[in-house]
Amino acid sequence: MKTNKILRLLLLFIMGIYLVACKQEEQAVQEKDSVVIAIGTEPETLDPTQGWGHGNSPIVQSTLVRYNSDLTFENDLATSYELSTDGLTWTFHLREDAKFTDGKRVTASDVVFTLETAKKAQGAVDLTYMESAVAKDDSTVIITLSQPTSIFLNTLASVGIVPKHAYSEEYGRNPIGSGPYKFVEWKSQEQIMFTANEDYYEGEPAIKNVTVVFMSEDAALAAVLAGEVDVAYSSATLGNTKAEGYRVERIASADNRGFTLPMLPEEGKTTESGAPIGNNVTCHREIRQAIAYAIDRQLIADTVLNGFGRPAYSENDGMPWNNPEVKIETDLEYAKKLLLDGGWLDSDQDGIVEKDGITAEFKCVYPAGDSVRQAIGMAVSEQLKKIGIKLTIEGMSWDEIMKVMFSEAVLMGWGSAIPNETYYLYRSEGALLDDFYNPEGYQNLKTDKYLRAAMEALTVEEANENWKKVQWDNNTGTSMKGECPWVWVVNLDHVTYVRDGLSIGEQPIHGHGHGLPLIQNLKDWKWQ
Amino acid sequence: MKMTGRKLIDIFIRNSIKMLSLLLAVSFLSFLLVSLSPIDPVGQYILGLQTAVSPEQRAEIEEYWGVNEPPVERYFHWLTEVLQGELGESVIYRRPVAEIIGERFINSLALMLCAWLISGIFGFILGIVMGRYYDRWPDKILKKICYILSSMPTFWIGLLLLLIFGVWLKWFPIGFSSPIGVLSRDVSLGEKIYHLILPAFTLSLMSFSGIALHTREKLWDVMNSDYVLFARTRGEDEWTILKRHGIRNVILPALTLQFSSFAELFGGSVIAENVFSYPGLGSAVSAAGLQSDLSLLLGITLFSALFVCTGNMIANLLYRIVDPGIREVKE
Repeated sequence: MKTNKILRLLLLFIMGIYLVACKQEEQAVQEKDSVVIAIGTEPETLDPTQGWGHGNSPIVQSTLVRYNSDLTFENDLATSYELSTDGLTWTFHLREDAKFTDGKRVTASDVVFTLETAKKAQGAVDLTYMESAVAKDDSTVIITLSQPTSIFLNTLASVGIVPKHAYSEEYGRNPIGSGPYKFVEWKSQEQIMFTANEDYYEGEPAIKNVTVVFMSEDAALAAVLAGEVDVAYSSATLGNTKAEGYRVERIASADNRGFTLPMLPEEGKTTESGAPIGNNVTCHREIRQAIAYAIDRQLIADTVLNGFGRPAYSENDGMPWNNPEVKIETDLEYAKKLLLDGGWLDSDQDGIVEKDGITAEFKCVYPAGDSVRQAIGMAVSEQLKKIGIKLTIEGMSWDEIMKVMFSEAVLMGWGSAIPNETYYLYRSEGALLDDFYNPEGYQNLKTDKYLRAAMEALTVEEANENWKKVQWDNNTGTSMKGECPWVWVVNLDHVTYVRDGLSIGEQPIHGHGHGLPLIQNLKDWKWQ
Repeated sequence: MKMTGRKLIDIFIRNSIKMLSLLLAVSFLSFLLVSLSPIDPVGQYILGLQTAVSPEQRAEIEEYWGVNEPPVERYFHWLTEVLQGELGESVIYRRPVAEIIGERFINSLALMLCAWLISGIFGFILGIVMGRYYDRWPDKILKKICYILSSMPTFWIGLLLLLIFGVWLKWFPIGFSSPIGVLSRDVSLGEKIYHLILPAFTLSLMSFSGIALHTREKLWDVMNSDYVLFARTRGEDEWTILKRHGIRNVILPALTLQFSSFAELFGGSVIAENVFSYPGLGSAVSAAGLQSDLSLLLGITLFSALFVCTGNMIANLLYRIVDPGIREVKE
């Protein structure tokens, strides 16, 4: 009798909990002005001066200029801007109707404060070239640079303006800004909630409540199947799962995968930190190019990535500063001819070519645990057998990779919405540093000249012209047609589950990242 | 009784000294391991920024972090800070480590306590049932279930439960400690418990079969002892024998086993919390490990050592209270 009573109470209790939960679910279905988005990585901070929104829009804050969906610039907080003829002085005029969500106006002094804070923070925002920022009046900012810098607008498009009067150490966990959304609450490792800013100067966004939850890709898929989220960042390996009531969007990205090939011969030299430099196989250009031409990129995109990828030919395919000339066709015969002309022959009939006693085999390392990179490496290794090059694939931790990356091939990934990535990847001073950018040891005076010209260009057009010449100037360059320090393989599509009826706007080409690029155009999303 | 009270305090002090020295050893060992590991915190930090960092900027970050000081100096520097209650700042969350641990520990404690109680109570009850019907059909079925459960990895059971109850039946949420899109202050206790059920159940399944099988064997031994035979000949019915002799004799070993499972529980919570995206210490420690957040990793290591030690100390003190046998023999 007693046990019965307890049992009954327990049952009642469970049912009670269940009813409460169900009620909530029903409410969520009724109002169609909120979305729940599952992404992979939690931001570290919501403070733009510390790196929040870098390469994407910061949502909570607004920027002086911003990217269009085709990655050109349009005005945001700025109504217009001028650049002096020497390329050193920028003058920005601000709109007067922009307010922070605490009601105070966004003034020139806030812009100055933001830029100075970001420069001091030494974080993700590189403003080392900024000499000074001065507020001339409430709506005019004059910024002086130490050298002409073409990526300055890109940087400004990443730095959300923070309020000088409401900025403190805690700002990154509890920000206010003048962007389309207001910050509501952040539960660490769970979710961040935003609500629409009804005073936003371009009108209140259609989606009123936004919850961003942080889940691994497997958990996010489970959440989609259970119908708990509206949008979920997923991956190529999971994207083939059918979920009722959802569609899968493939968003093109410059989130690329490719590998570096050491360009220097092995001469017993080491880097400052003691890692060996050079590889006697990959230091030959014909080997590097033969690899580039032998790879069937479309096949890898179709098989390894389940079709959720596209062939990659450079670090920035599809960006306005990409040179379309970098594209090459898979050509096994040409690859074989390159090897033959270079004197590589399979004289001992073991399927691998040799030259001067050196066998064409080397190692390619990838970060252990990254199954996509592993699979790409295996597929490439299989394809290279056809031209007599033996590639061994090995997984390592990033810290171990740092010790072998100057003498072995490494499967890496880049892709940025700011063109200065190209500058870091190929500049001569950057060669053989511990920072993953140029472990292959690429050094070329002609490239350096174009890079400098691109960085110091006065207009975006002039800069893009030079960025393109870095890759291929009809004679040489960093592309696979040229010196070929990298062999690019695929660009990953950003596979995203979206609930039927929700439009996620026109997504610009995404950079490298685990879901955050997705929400940069949140203000254009709507339920239909 | 007064004597016992003083003894308890005595034991408490002796245990505390043991615990402190152990913590010191743990701090030294974990710091040593972290220093010897190839983890490069600066490299990881820059990797996390996902953006171009010039070598000049990198050198400044290294200088600021003091990575070039000798390890011994760094250890004592860290230790003095820790002793002052300053555990440093987490790189991945950009918040003080102590604050993160405090926040996460409440979630983890709720989870582990529930799992601990579920596995203890149900394990014990099932063990009694199996022992009572030793080698008969209820025992045979339950024993097989226990064997299957103890040979299945926790993460797999977790995924299975998630698929069945979260995705297919939609009875329980698929993760987190509170409903999606609801402000902290609006989350009710009921909702929190509702989110706790599935991960707690998964975690309890880990140590559950151990208790059950152990209790089963113990009870079988007791039921075949001379004093039970004597009780039987005296005409006591089976239920009374179980109550008077069986349960009393098997409860202490079960308690011992259950209290010694604290460390295991902590280990299991790492897996359960990851499967259910549950924001506790377990998921924080795996995030810290994977993203080389050294201050958070060391902080949680120290804290979990403290937690497990405390659990064992409580067990030691409890024996003396629960079992008059141990108390009197010692005296």
